[in-house]
Amino acid sequence: MTQAIQVGQLASDFALDAYDPVAGDFAKFDLAKQKVAGRWTVLFFYPADWTFV
Amino acid sequence: MHKAWRDHEKELASVKYLMASDVKGDVSRQFGVLDEGSGLALRGTFLISPEGRVTNCEVNFYNLGRNIDELMRKLKANLYLTKKKDEGCPSKWKDEGDPTLRPSAQMVGKVHEALHGTGKVESKKQ
Repeated sequence: MTQAIQVGQLASDFALDAYDPVAGDFAKFDLAKQKVAGRWTVLFFYPADWTFV
Repeated sequence: MHKAWRDHEKELASVKYLMASDVKGDVSRQFGVLDEGSGLALRGTFLISPEGRVTNCEVNFYNLGRNIDELMRKLKANLYLTKKKDEGCPSKWKDEGDPTLRPSAQMVGKVHEALHGTGKVESKKQ
C-alpha cells in the first residue's frame, strides 16, 4: 500500500466523474485543470450520500 | 445518485460545488481517508493550493460533522498567506486585518506580547 499524502506535499493529479448542481448536469472534476486555472481546491470526503457532512 | 440526494435534501439546496464519486477509492486512498474495512471514506477535508500542494487536512470519524466556519477561516488564511509569505496566522486569526505573526528568534517566548501589542516584538496589524 502506498503512503498517504501528508500536509506540505504535492497531490497527484486525479480526475473524477461528478454532478454539477449549478449546470444540473454531469461533469468532471480534474485537479490538473484546477492548477491550470490557478484555483484553490477544497476536497471534502464523506462516507455516503444521505448522511450529514 | 448525488443528484437525487441534492434534489431531495433541503439542506443541500444551496450546494454549488461539484459532487464527485470516488467509486474505486483511489482518491480517498491517496488522501488516507479510505476505511478499507467498510470501503467508506472518513469525513476528510483537504485544502489544495493552485500548485497542487496540500496545505491543510482535517479528518473526522463518521459520527462528527465538520465546522464550515473553521474551514473558511483556513481557506481565507491560506489565501492571505499566499500574498504574505513571511507571516503566520495565529489561532484567533479570522480575516484580513487581524494580527499576524512574523516568526523570528526575537519572538521566542514573546508570542503573547506580539499578539496583544504590549511588547516590543513586531506584530503586524493591517
